[in-house]
Amino acid sequence: MKKKVLSVLLSTTMVLGVLSGCGGTSTESNNDTASEAPAEKSEEATAESTEAASEEKTEEAKEETTEATETTAATGDFSGEDPQLEKDFHILSIWAEDNDNGVLINNICKAYQEVNPNFTYEYELVSSDDLRQKVATLVASNDLPDMFVYESGKPIVDLIEADQIVDIGAMLNEIGSTDFVTPSATSLLETLSGTDTIYDLPLGLNVEGFWYNKALFEQAGITSAPVTWDEFEEDLAKLHDAGIQPLACGAADKWGATRLINAYTVRTLGADALKNAADGNASYTDEGYVAAAAKVQEWADKGYFGEGVNTVDMNTAGSMLMTGKAAIFYNGSWFASNLNDTSANAAGEDGIGFFNIPTVDESVSAIDSYSMNCGNILCLSKAKEDEATKWFIKYFVEHIGDEAMTTQGSIKGYTYSAQASEMSAYTKLVLDEIGKAQSAFTWYEATMNSEVSDAAQSNVQMLLSGEMTPENYMQSIQDAADMSALN
Amino acid sequence: MKKVLGNKGAISLFVVPALILYSIIVVLPVLWSFYYSFFSGSPGLKWEFSGVKNYIQLLSDKNFRNSLIVNLKYIGIVMIGQVGGGLLMALMFRFWLKRFKNVVRTIVFFPVVLPTVAVGQLFAKIYEIQPNYGLLNSILSAVGLNALVQPWIGQASTALGSLEVMDIWTGIGFHSIILYGALLDIPDDVIEAGRIDGCNGFNLFRHILAPLLRPMIITCMVFSFSGTVKLFESALALTNGGPGNATRSLSMYMYSVAFTYNKVGYGSVIAIFIFLLCITGSRIINLFDKKESYY
Repeated sequence: MKKKVLSVLLSTTMVLGVLSGCGGTSTESNNDTASEAPAEKSEEATAESTEAASEEKTEEAKEETTEATETTAATGDFSGEDPQLEKDFHILSIWAEDNDNGVLINNICKAYQEVNPNFTYEYELVSSDDLRQKVATLVASNDLPDMFVYESGKPIVDLIEADQIVDIGAMLNEIGSTDFVTPSATSLLETLSGTDTIYDLPLGLNVEGFWYNKALFEQAGITSAPVTWDEFEEDLAKLHDAGIQPLACGAADKWGATRLINAYTVRTLGADALKNAADGNASYTDEGYVAAAAKVQEWADKGYFGEGVNTVDMNTAGSMLMTGKAAIFYNGSWFASNLNDTSANAAGEDGIGFFNIPTVDESVSAIDSYSMNCGNILCLSKAKEDEATKWFIKYFVEHIGDEAMTTQGSIKGYTYSAQASEMSAYTKLVLDEIGKAQSAFTWYEATMNSEVSDAAQSNVQMLLSGEMTPENYMQSIQDAADMSALN
Repeated sequence: MKKVLGNKGAISLFVVPALILYSIIVVLPVLWSFYYSFFSGSPGLKWEFSGVKNYIQLLSDKNFRNSLIVNLKYIGIVMIGQVGGGLLMALMFRFWLKRFKNVVRTIVFFPVVLPTVAVGQLFAKIYEIQPNYGLLNSILSAVGLNALVQPWIGQASTALGSLEVMDIWTGIGFHSIILYGALLDIPDDVIEAGRIDGCNGFNLFRHILAPLLRPMIITCMVFSFSGTVKLFESALALTNGGPGNATRSLSMYMYSVAFTYNKVGYGSVIAIFIFLLCITGSRIINLFDKKESYY
């Protein structure tokens, strides 16, 4: 009897506990939504205060790495010496201070403090996943930081429409530093935001294309990298016949697959094909767009991607290329850093080559037109803009090109005069390709908002597995576009 | 004592602090979310009152319907797998593996303590097909079933099943341990009496064990339901909702809508739907519990 009472008691408490747990779970998700704003704010406040404290210490402690004494000659009011205006500059970034672009931004800021001792800065970090939400919250509370990292393409357009960010093109004109941002980067940023001027500063300049394993090409009897699409398909067939997997594709990461659709779309319909569809001047379900999706599905059906392409991520696909398990791999120029890693790159220093997306019709899209992007970008808050900001930006754009080249051997979309001390063959290869680019086009999802891009990316896996026809795939993108237009 | 508990002031003194806390962390966000559901956009960017538009949109949203179906299929299969499988295992411990029960229990319980992400990675390797065959495909190919070698989590037709197998594997140990505990509570003489009366194994289970285990089975079902209705992290770790939307659950869809598509208002509507789903599910399971009290 006692046992029964006890077990009934126990089970009731368990049921109750679980039920409350059940309620708790669902409300937790609600809680996230609801309390986002206040939580973020307080978090930010504490983060800022601690950052400020630690910043001051490190500033004194750390030695300056870069010397910056001269100010380059410029025109207008902004020529000559820096007036050393007082400014507390807030930067919101997604890179830690010792990582990637974080190093560059911090080096430039520290070097600028030598020029202008009255300049202080706070460097705040947010994870890239939370970036958009964070910026949205800051916009709502009218508290955008002086400078912040953001995403080009559709996200920045929202900020431009909300009149939140500075017209950097005009600012560069005023301070006479327009020439320090390379024309290709400028035109790319203009295309991405759909404006005549730039509202952001680039933090990278990447080309994309096909990396190929030279040994496997030789093995299949291919002498040179393909230039036209017909040659490309012939080579794929040759590789396949020779028992080599022609293409590695990281479809688990989704964008690796949509880039291939993009390649064919742009080469057959021109660089503005996707913009037209996004603007409603064309439909995603039009013949040309469907043909590109059909092309990629055809490759999948022929087994060019090997088995289970949807389970392969970009890293695995990259190592498949390097270890000779696949012959061709589409990726951006940032892949060079993997190739430079001798422990991972079994193909060696000259084992991997690069070719641009082959052309279908030279007159529609020429071979010197590359798929390019600027990575993440920097925006300036319109509300916080003042004279001191302009002086800082002047220093920033004039020095970051050299800084990036000397410390990282990378191109960020600014002119540079310095030379990297030791440049690997792959880095040189990338620089050469960037040099060849005469015009640029963007990636598949650049003109899509997140909802449409999500549809394009997740359904591409169904396209590859053959569970969705090309028509239905493009229809699903069009549906998402229609759906998001509703709100 | 009666005096104290009869005093309304005393009662409120005991209840009010907890009630306030509960209201702040549970009731308020729910109401807040409900309020948000009448807006479009995201706070800060294009945040506008839109009336019941979000609710109307929900009715015609294909993605929502798809996620709901995925979620319901998952709840059904995984609940049966976890509780039913757990019960079978518990019976096995009790009647067949008595001598090794400690070892077996430890092994079976082991997956429960593993972090979901690690389990996801583990199973991604098991289902792997490229660049190398994973465990499952190697076995299939080794025994000559090459026709069955396939990208298990790379195609919509098998992805949800693969995910369900993973989560049953993870959860089955937990339920088998609970049910095993309940089985131990059933006195040996009852079972022996049944045997003497001529029960075979099935009848013993049907007429003696099952009724006595009923409360625990219901408890397990509630556990399993609350665990499966919120499907999120295991799908994220194994398939990230793909391929296509084959394994995207309601809560994953809600997350995308609210934080990726920046439609916090519409996301709130979905959140409210999940909330209602939880309540309804718990109610249904509770109905079984009420029947129990007639015995």
